[in-house]
Parts: sequence; structure tokens; C-alpha cells
Amino acid sequence: MAEKIFITGNEAAVRGAVDAGAKIMFGYPITPATEILEGWIAQTVTDKSLQYLQTEDEIAAGFGVLGAVLGGAKAFTASAGIGHVLLQDPVAMAENMRLPFVGIMMQRGGPSTGTVNFSQQEVNLAIHGGNGDSFRIVYSASNVEEMYSLVIKAFSAAWKYRFPTFVLGDGYLGKMKATVELKKLLKPVESKPILSESGAPTWLRNCFSSEEELNTLLNNHITDWEKNKNKIVESESFHTNDARYLVIAHGLVASATKETVLKMRHERIRIGLFRPITLNPFDGEALRTVARGAKHIFIVESAYGQLGTIAKAELAGHNIKAKISQISKPAEGFTPEEILKEIKKHNA
Amino acid sequence: MLSTIPKSWNVKLKPHLFCPGCGHGITFKQLGFAIDGLGIQKEITMGVDIGCSLLAWNFLDVPTIQTHHGRTTPLLVGYKLVKPKRIVISYMGDGAAWGIGLQNIIHAAYRNNPVTVIVINNENFAMTGGQSSYTTLPGTITPTSPVGKSPELGAGFKGPELIRNVAHKDAYIARTTVTNPIHLLSTLKKAILAQKENNNFALVEVLSICPTNWKTGAKASLDMAFEMEKTYPIGEVK
Amino acid sequence: MIDTTKIILAGEGGQGIQTIAKVITEVAAEQGLDVSYIPVFGVEQRGTPSVAFIILSHEKIYYPRFDSADYAIILQKRAVASVLAYINKKTKVVFDSSTVSVRDLPDEAIHSFGIPATQIATEKFTPKAFNLIVAGKLSRVLNLDEDQVWQKIEKLLGKKFKTPEIKEKSRQAYLSGRKYIFELKDFSRPTFQPATGKIIIKNAEKTAQILPERCKGCGICIVKCPVGALKFSDTLGVFATPVPEIDLEKCIACGNCFRFCPDGAIAVEKNKKLK
Repeated sequence: MAEKIFITGNEAAVRGAVDAGAKIMFGYPITPATEILEGWIAQTVTDKSLQYLQTEDEIAAGFGVLGAVLGGAKAFTASAGIGHVLLQDPVAMAENMRLPFVGIMMQRGGPSTGTVNFSQQEVNLAIHGGNGDSFRIVYSASNVEEMYSLVIKAFSAAWKYRFPTFVLGDGYLGKMKATVELKKLLKPVESKPILSESGAPTWLRNCFSSEEELNTLLNNHITDWEKNKNKIVESESFHTNDARYLVIAHGLVASATKETVLKMRHERIRIGLFRPITLNPFDGEALRTVARGAKHIFIVESAYGQLGTIAKAELAGHNIKAKISQISKPAEGFTPEEILKEIKKHNA
Repeated sequence: MLSTIPKSWNVKLKPHLFCPGCGHGITFKQLGFAIDGLGIQKEITMGVDIGCSLLAWNFLDVPTIQTHHGRTTPLLVGYKLVKPKRIVISYMGDGAAWGIGLQNIIHAAYRNNPVTVIVINNENFAMTGGQSSYTTLPGTITPTSPVGKSPELGAGFKGPELIRNVAHKDAYIARTTVTNPIHLLSTLKKAILAQKENNNFALVEVLSICPTNWKTGAKASLDMAFEMEKTYPIGEVK
Repeated sequence: MIDTTKIILAGEGGQGIQTIAKVITEVAAEQGLDVSYIPVFGVEQRGTPSVAFIILSHEKIYYPRFDSADYAIILQKRAVASVLAYINKKTKVVFDSSTVSVRDLPDEAIHSFGIPATQIATEKFTPKAFNLIVAGKLSRVLNLDEDQVWQKIEKLLGKKFKTPEIKEKSRQAYLSGRKYIFELKDFSRPTFQPATGKIIIKNAEKTAQILPERCKGCGICIVKCPVGALKFSDTLGVFATPVPEIDLEKCIACGNCFRFCPDGAIAVEKNKKLK
């Protein structure tokens, strides 16, 4: 049963969390993610099974999420920018202890306080922000509808695979209002208490005395990651069948690129778009499939090569002959026309 | 049958990992008796912080989670929200409580989150080798105060007295010492009951001893702990 | 000395393992050798094995750890596990025969040499002189100059030698290790192993229980006993330190030792009266 409504990305994220079975949110206000906290708190007024805590900082919010998760509740937080930086501490703990964690990060300009508007600069942070080996699932939403559907997916993935999971949005996506179709999940994944309440006690730690002990644990994480990453990866290939020109973009920039692709197709230019939906793990296989026919690849992002580094590593060593151009505009958005102009300039 | 330990200790992992003469052991003795005495072992969920506290990650025969930097408190605040019937104990040293994680304790006390926080004040960063802490008294020689801690760096951080000023009116705040196990036991019991019976925040600072880093024998360690009471008075703070 | 010597040194935290390593490596460095020393440490300060990797070489050393040792020095039974991987058939294994049995050593340890360091320290000097005896023997094996090593010990431990008598005794301990000659004998029954089981003492009114496997020898029970009924005995606890013994005639069963013991190693109780 699909319902069609007119809402903002932040509101869609709240709906997603509710429909995924989340029971409690911990958060600290930060633009442009504040409306997720506000929207969730509004839900708790009418639905008494839902709880929230507005914490003293994002670190407490993240650790509060972990506490609730240990108690068996689906919990989450939302933040952005410098708040996202602070959250990396509890997320690293979740990564070590394989605790499900969901964070919705509405990217804003950085580094530091930056701007409150828009960027795609939190990709590296979401993937590599911990002092570990980056076993995090990172989704990138490209429209308001995905702010709903990917939040639901994030809860499913986090609880199923037990890796911390981020949904990356941005300030535009959070504040913009659009008509969306909410496809409800029939059966949200189950959540059980992780700390025992009867029987033999569970003793959980993330600190170990010897290198060998920790290395053994991490090898188990690696095995799980490698075993499951092909089940997690997601991407979209848009008009790529005969594409001689290929754009790689994610999030809202990828949405803009779709308009560019359609315009250029109108001019009979054989161009397509590859859009990673998961930035980590990354659907390299799908990218290489569409890249093989291309003679020129354009990586377009509102950051200085964060997506570019990932994509280039996936393409390297696979006999892909296309020329690769990086088109970066850190902390600023692209209109479809700008992307078109940039592509033509680089292809001149 | 004569027993040397509380029932709630995890007997399989004894001897425990704390040093000879460590105040953590004395505190856990009385914490164990408090839990035994109140008959609440099955209701307890324990959180231990980083530093020597983490050596207690499987000390008691109760579910336990280890975190760091004083975040044990917000983690247990989160846990308690979804498991209101559990009795949660947040156990940490003075570094986690009065330094890096201070604001988490302040706000848990301010909001009156029903969590019992136990702070072991041994006046140093013990696990990293005895460096100067906020609670280290002026003049003390440590690896980070090689000529004695300067009085300009503070006269000794009084955590409970600070928290008292912002804590919720019903919060329980007290200080006790390992040199008086009977007082230690009764204080710990009150702090647990504050949570269990009245759903209040509770904080107990325990003046402790650290023979390894203080480089003191049994008698000198206990004497030093008595000396600490001049700066950090024992009793109910709130 | 061959061109490169790789040494692994392992004992219990608190035995002074790292002090031995510092003395040896600093002297070797002063002699112009290329030297590398790295302690391997866990989070605990006490109670887990303390291990040091040492490399002495006439050539440049690039990495502080290695796969196989030329010398493995094992000073506590619980430390054997930490060095197993580094012992092969060429490794010379030196062990404290008063705390480690030759049977605890792996089959590869063909060349093993016992030195009853704990026994010598306890009987002739003080238990704390243990690491000086080992430092003495190891410095002799490595051909390091007798005076130079002593000067280094003085420099590193000088503060602990509070009186000239303690200093002289320490020097004698060092020299006795230095002069110790490895003997061929039965090393299967160490004399200084921690006691096991429960020590139960009873009289008509009271029963006391002491658990050496938990006692770390901190002495708090002795200090807190109001009637002086406790003192250290010859029995050894888990860290090979002395365990208290109790005089039940003096004891008033006040419970102080029981309340204060951080390790749950002692309890006294009044016997229940039979009806």
C-alpha cells in the first residue's frame, strides 16, 4: 500500500524511522538536521510507545543510542557536520562491538562549522571517521523519497548485519518539500536485547590486552563484511547501455545529473549516469560494467574528490580505457545546466 | 560455610586484574555486599569506563558493558530509558568523571536520570602510569608533574560539590572512602536505593588508594587516603 | 657475541622485567651496539605477563620484534605461554627454576638453564632483589662489563636504595646472579611455587580461611588488624609474594581483614554454637 504525500526530506526521514520500528531517538539540535529531532519528538506526543532524549551533546546522543540498542530497542540519531564529527566516537565503539547503529547525517559545508546549507563532504567522515577499518554501511539519498526508503533500509541493514549504518542526506534534501510515495516495509527486521537480563550474564568490552586477541576479533569482522558486502551494495545505472560518456555522482548531485543526461540525450549525445546508492560498500562490479563502454568518465561531486577517490580505486586495474575527469565544487550545489557546462568544458 | 567474597562476584575470574592493595578491589567488595544485601543481583546492569575501571568488565556476575571517557553514564541513561526496571550502575574513575566526561554526569544529574554513578577518586590516572589528575593535590609528584603539582593548577577538584549545585532536587550525592568499608557499604546501598526506590540520580565518590602508582605500602596508602579527607570531606553532599 | 642477538624476557607484571631490559639495553647501547628494546604491554599494570623484546646488533636494526629468539628468559610460570612462539631448538632458554618447572617449557627448549633466582633473592637477600640477580646473570651471559652494569643499576634504581646497607645488599644480589653457575640437575620441582587450595585454621571459637591463589600480598589486612593477629608467612600467594598467617588466639574476629581485603583472600568467622 503506497501513500503519496507532500513532505520535506527531514520529515520523510522521521516517517522512515517510525515505519522501520524505531522506538527512541537521541539528538542534539544542529542545522540542517534539527527538524528530524523536532519531527520525532512531535511523534512521541501522539504515540506513547515512542521516546526521545535531547542530550547535552552529540557524543551523549550516540552513546545513548548504544545504550538503548543494548536494551533491545531500535534507536537512532540525526546530525550534521561538526555534530557528525563528535558522533564518530560512539560509532567507532559500535563498529568494534558490532552493535547496530543508525545515524542520519544531513551534510553541511565543512571543514569545521562551515555552512549550514549543503555539501557532499561527509562521505570520508561517514566511511572512514573512526580509528578502525571502516566497516560501516553508508547510504546516500538522492531525493526526498529516498530519505524515507533508505532510512528504512538502514535500520534493516544495521540490525541484520550489525555494522553501524549511516544515511547521508544534505541540507537541501532536508529542507526541500516534494511529493513522495511511501512504500511501507511489510516486516521490519526484529530487534532483541543484547545485554542479558536473566541467565548467564553478558560481559561486553571493546578493549583488549593483546594484539592477537583484537586481531582475531577484527578478522571475524572482515569475514562478515566480505561475506555480506555483495548483499548490501546498491547502485543505479541511468541510460548507461550505450553510453560513451559516463557521469559518476551520488546524492542530490546525481539527481541533478539525471536532468543533464536527459538534456544531452535530447541532443543525441550518448551519455549516462552511474549512481552509487551505497557509498560503502561500493558496487564496483556495476560501475565497471557500465564504464567499459565509456570513452570519458566525469566524476561530479560537491566535495574535492571524496567520491572520486572511491570510484577511481574501483576502476583501477580493470583495463578501463576511459579518460577520467574530476568535477568538484566543495560545499556548493550544482544545477543540471552547470553540470552540462562543466562536462562540455572538460570534453572540449 | 565461610566465604571470603560476596555472592555477586564472578568467582571464576578471581584473582581479579587489579593490582595488590588496589582500592577498586575494596570498593567492589562492598559493592558486592550491597548488591547481595539488597538481593538485587538479577536486576543489575553494570557499565564500566576506561582506565583501571575497565579491568572490572567481568568482575561481577551481572551483565556488564565497557565504554570510555565517561560515556558509560549517557550509555546507561539510554539503556535505562528502554529498560526502566533494570538497576544501572555507572562505574568510573576520577579522570572519566571529573575530566573528559564531566558534562555527561552534570546533565544526567540535572535531568535526574535514574542512574547510580560510582566514581573512584585515587587522585591520578592510574592505568596510564599515575599521571596528575584534576583531583591530584598540589605538591604531588607524578609523571606529568615532575616537580610537584603546581597549586596554580587547582587545589583539588571537588566533583560532588560541583554537581550538587546543578543536580535535580531529589538527586543523591555523597562521598565515602575505602578506609571505612562500613561507611562505604551503607553509602553504596543508599545510592542504589535512590535509583531503585525513588527513580533518582545518585552519585558516590569513593576516595581510593593506588599503592602501585603512589609507590606506597599498605600503611602509607591508607594514611594518604586519610589525608585526602581534609580536602575531600566524607559524608552526604546532598 | 654473534652479530645479532635476539632476546625475549618474560615474567609477571611487577617483577621488574622492564628494569632488567633497560639495564641490559642501555649498557649495550653505551658499548656502541645498535640496540632495540620494546616492552609488550597489556592494559593491566599488574597480574599479566610482562614481556620485553631486545635486539643487540653490530648492524642496523630495522624492526623491534622477531620470530625466533636466541635467548628466552622466563621468570614466571604464567609467562611461559607468552614466549612459546619464539622458542626453537637453537634458543637458549634461561628460567627461574624456583618458580618454573622444566616440564612447563616447550619440547623445543632443548638448551635450558635453570637459575633459582626467587629462592636466592628470598633466602639471601629480599624478594625485591630478584630482578638484580637475573640482571646479573643475563649481563654475564651477554658479556657486558660488570662495573658498567652496576653503575647503570645504580642510576636507574638509585632512589630505591635508601640506605647504604640496602645499596650494598642490592650489589651483592647483583653479583651473586653474575657469579651463579648453571648446574645440571633436576629442575622438575620448583620450590617457590604459589600455594594452592585453602588454608583453614580453627580453634574452639573461630575459623579462619586464607586463599593463597587470590592473595597478592598487599598487607592491608595486617595493617588493619587491631590486635596484631596477622603477619606474613613463608607461604607464597599468586604473585609469589608472602601470604599472611593468623594467630587465632589473638584474633577477635572483628572482620576487618575480611572487609578490607581487596582480593577476597581472607575471612574469619566465629563458630556457630551447637545447640
